[in-house]
Amino acid sequence: MSVRTACLAGAVALAASTAACGGSSSGASPGAQPSMGNIKNTPPPKAGGSITVLEGKGFSGDWPYGFDPPTDVTGSANQDFYTAVYGQLFDLGPNGKILPDLATGYSFSDGNKTVTITLRKGVTFSDGTPFNAQAVYYNWQRDFGPLAKKAGLVPPWEVARTASGPAAISAPFAKSAVQVTGPDTITVHLTTPDGAFINQLFDTTPMWIGSPAAIKKEGEKKFAQDPVGAGPFTVVSDTYNNQLVVKKNPRYWDKPKPYLNQITFKSASGDEAAYESMLAGQGQVYQDLSTTQILNEAGQHFQELNQPGTSPYDLQLNTASAPFSNVKARQAIYAATDFAPILKAVFGDRYPVTESFTGPGGICYEPKVPGYQGYDPALAKKLIKESGLDKTTITLGTINSSPVAIDTTEALRTEWDKLGMHVNIANYPLDGLIQAFRANGGKNWQAMIQTAGSWDPSAGVGVGFRFLSNAPYSGVHDPHLDQLLFKAQEPTKVSQRCPYYDQAAEYIAKHYYGPFYFTFAPANISVKGIVGPGLTSALPAVAVVPAIPWQDVYYNPSGK
Amino acid sequence: MTTRGLAGSPAWKLVGRRLVAAVIVLWGVTFLTYAVMSALPNDTAAGLLGLKASPAQIAALNRRLGLNQPFWVRYWHWFVNLLHGNLGTTLEGQSVNHELATYLPVTMELLAYALVVSLVLAVGLAVLAARKPNGAADRFSLALSMLGLSAAPYAFAIFIIVVFGVQLGWFPVQSNALGTGGVGTFFREATLPAASLGFGLFAIYARVLRGDLVEQMQREDYITTARAKGLAPWRVLVRHALRNSMFTLITVVGLNLGALIGAAAIIETLFSAPGIGQELLNSISNHDVPMVEGIVLVFAIITVAGNLLADLLYAVLDPRIRYGSSSS
Amino acid sequence: MAVPAPDTAVLVPGGPPLPSLLVSDRQVRMQRIWRAVKLWVPLGVVLFLLAMCFLLPLVVTLPSPTNGDILAASLPPLSPGHLLGTDTVGVDELSQVVYGGQVSFEVAAAVTAIGIAVGGVIGVTAGYLGGWIDAVLSRVLDVLIAFPALVLALAVSQGLGPSEIHVIWALSFFGVPVFGRIARANTLVIRELPFVTAARLSGTPGWRVVARHVVPNILPGVVSFGLLGAGLTIILEGALDYLGYGIPPPEASWGSMIASGQQYMSAEPRYVLIPSIFLVVVVVALNMFGDALRERWGAQ
Repeated sequence: MSVRTACLAGAVALAASTAACGGSSSGASPGAQPSMGNIKNTPPPKAGGSITVLEGKGFSGDWPYGFDPPTDVTGSANQDFYTAVYGQLFDLGPNGKILPDLATGYSFSDGNKTVTITLRKGVTFSDGTPFNAQAVYYNWQRDFGPLAKKAGLVPPWEVARTASGPAAISAPFAKSAVQVTGPDTITVHLTTPDGAFINQLFDTTPMWIGSPAAIKKEGEKKFAQDPVGAGPFTVVSDTYNNQLVVKKNPRYWDKPKPYLNQITFKSASGDEAAYESMLAGQGQVYQDLSTTQILNEAGQHFQELNQPGTSPYDLQLNTASAPFSNVKARQAIYAATDFAPILKAVFGDRYPVTESFTGPGGICYEPKVPGYQGYDPALAKKLIKESGLDKTTITLGTINSSPVAIDTTEALRTEWDKLGMHVNIANYPLDGLIQAFRANGGKNWQAMIQTAGSWDPSAGVGVGFRFLSNAPYSGVHDPHLDQLLFKAQEPTKVSQRCPYYDQAAEYIAKHYYGPFYFTFAPANISVKGIVGPGLTSALPAVAVVPAIPWQDVYYNPSGK
Repeated sequence: MTTRGLAGSPAWKLVGRRLVAAVIVLWGVTFLTYAVMSALPNDTAAGLLGLKASPAQIAALNRRLGLNQPFWVRYWHWFVNLLHGNLGTTLEGQSVNHELATYLPVTMELLAYALVVSLVLAVGLAVLAARKPNGAADRFSLALSMLGLSAAPYAFAIFIIVVFGVQLGWFPVQSNALGTGGVGTFFREATLPAASLGFGLFAIYARVLRGDLVEQMQREDYITTARAKGLAPWRVLVRHALRNSMFTLITVVGLNLGALIGAAAIIETLFSAPGIGQELLNSISNHDVPMVEGIVLVFAIITVAGNLLADLLYAVLDPRIRYGSSSS
Repeated sequence: MAVPAPDTAVLVPGGPPLPSLLVSDRQVRMQRIWRAVKLWVPLGVVLFLLAMCFLLPLVVTLPSPTNGDILAASLPPLSPGHLLGTDTVGVDELSQVVYGGQVSFEVAAAVTAIGIAVGGVIGVTAGYLGGWIDAVLSRVLDVLIAFPALVLALAVSQGLGPSEIHVIWALSFFGVPVFGRIARANTLVIRELPFVTAARLSGTPGWRVVARHVVPNILPGVVSFGLLGAGLTIILEGALDYLGYGIPPPEASWGSMIASGQQYMSAEPRYVLIPSIFLVVVVVALNMFGDALRERWGAQ
């Protein structure tokens, strides 16, 4: 069985994983939701105007490969641009509802093994060529083709492939697997039931459809710089990693949208730089703000939307080697950590505490897990002694681009230090983190602070990414847990899937595979007068931040 | 390295010899860069492919990038390409020549702006200071240049962003639009980063020039003569002393050019300016050897040219120093 | 860095001594006092900061510079037990300044010492012997000067992992060629002086000429530049920390304090202000001390 993670592979997947790669919502169990921010009454829609959207360097502010889906390793981080230029087949709406966009619907048949997607009729790309099932098929072939293989982006669909064995996962789909069944319908035949297929499409390359004529005409390099899609905007200019200017697409299917005439996406060197730009009136929107000190101030000057989180931070323990091959050492970690005071002191109680991989913004949310080992310093001290944790130094790693992750590791070190555990912190750059996970066949690393979970736990950097036996970035190798997680993604009905996730969470707690701490979610800030889903009203995050449907965003500073 | 075959005047001989030396130095820099970058442990392919790559994929990419070959083979390939004017391909598949053409102009414009403004201000202040040593202007110039010499550019940049960008709103906080738009855009976007780069330069220039001017005004005979002839002090200072001191200043400017890439790297990153300095930092952290080589080569050429100029000026200014004294 | 790089120091005579022509006794006395002030005040500041960084931790028990109490995070200056407050994870600011200052001083001292020793030997050898040895050594120095040392520093730290010793190594690449150039340039001048020529012609062995005439004569210049260089090294060390390639966290360093403080500059400017003030004061003091020394020795 392959790892069914649908988040874009490659560099960004890991970066994304530090914060989240899933989304929010579905309205399952509301739970203890944090405040949604300070957005009050929003002005009525108004057409026209231009805005500048700031993108943080190290994540969405980097696009070194341009925007050709099968070659863009960092596409996961750059969904703002994809939704603007390509639109999407489906949008993820409020409460996790799948909304029609360029596709109008889908249906499952054959025991959830066949998926048929119906496309919108009469749509044209911005170059005037028709958007139809043939165009989608052409794009999907590229998404499974040699370019995608080179970039490591071939979607992990469970379909028949042109190769078998280990090569299958990066091979093109077999002719029988994907079929154009009408001018506006396309059908995917899966080899195993996957009721979460459409959910898993989000944040993957098949969601974004480019104009086949433009791809053929421009060639891959030029197309990446000047992509042609059927989305609400078209590219005016594009300097990689720096500035992208898009303007209203006059051929957009959903007239009179988009509201805005022009959007300038600018890379800013971090939260502070972006915030300073907004204070100086040089930007109207910034997403993914996570620096607590700035969050404390931002609400006084700007609209601030706090999304309900979907991806809890967990402490990965490597069960493949000492000291955490010892169950007592793992239990000691559970008992040694009291996260509530950390959350209060460091993060101002912005995020909810959790004991599982589900978040308040996602499906199957269940923050409490029966039998979860809570804070117990006396027990921790005893276990630390018994397992010899006091005689060793634990290396606790995380990625260096996330201030939240770094603060969390610092805080944990402070707490554990008092109980006699010695911790060495390693803040890795992305490739260093990859090396650390891989070194010595995955046996060198000891503990990592990462996120596990997603708005749908089977999608993105979900629970499987961190807990499945054969996932390269998992420290757990337990066939029973694998079984539970695979069963959980088969049905289409969420209510049938949740019990499996509950069981999995209980099982993880029982074996002390890794404690969960809190569900982080960054905030989106915007100036008064900006209105749009994901900016002023909740929208599930697809990768860290929601993919904003820019056609719906307007700027009405006068409020009339 | 004999250049006896070179005909012509001694000055031309000297230039010829220094040019040969410069080429050798440039070659040494490229070799050293390649050697250092290759000797250090890295995991380029794994880093590029990201989380989900299999060992087979990594090996394949290593082969494609030629990383499985020994270092001298790769260096030789690179060097042969260089002789054909081709600087190779970045890890992301772009031509290095193209990347340099894209990012270098922004940095060069920024550096030129910083250089010109700091030179003009330094000359003005130094002349004012030298007119009356130990006067108010002199004290001010000494204090300001001491501050400029001692302020870390990264800290200085943070403060001027807050004051002139956020508080006063005179300039943009981030300079993404550098390299696009017209003159107005350039001065709006470039002023703060250029000031961050230029403050230290200004301090050095002002110090050097002020010292040189004061020394000349007090020690040199021709100045005394000019004074005796009844020339106005201003005229003596500007027409005679300043003209002579300019040689020293040019020498200092030349010597500092190469070191500017380091400053540009930090300042461009701070301001999100799309220049080559920022690319340099990215390439180092991605272990993109061809890209690093390309950037290093450009700045090595600038440094060597600056040094060459400085050396020649030395020779002109101070006849006691003999070059390539193979006879002794 | 936009710094007085290479051998500009040869050409950076801070303020040349002003010959006192036709001045009154009172003015002479004032000048003497002023010269003493210019020497002793910066020296006093340097000594004070050295004492603060190296002796203070021996006398008083400072809070840990790496481990803080997360529940006492973001305390303002003058809080009980935390004179300069705590940072965002509760680590004492003063301790970080003190221990970060130790790193700065250690790196500056080591890099300057290596520069003077290695660069001095290369420069004097090249300058004194001349000929093909000079040609070869000069080319090596040229290569090192033309090589953007920041690239090397970053590459080393990227490949081998950040550490204090790697920072010293990397920054020595800045120092050695600069000191080498200065030593060579000065040696060239000294070598042509009449008494040195006389000693050489009278058959004194080369090493004795170097030891008795060359080294003592170039040392003042090299050492007073060394102080300028030390100030510069502190700025560069901070730059490496600032870029995340210097002293590895959680160890304290001024550059990384500035870098992390920058992330919330608009909300909490003091996290940048505190280390920046110390950085500027130290470098100014070192530079002024160097100037004062050069003025004295130059006048001799």
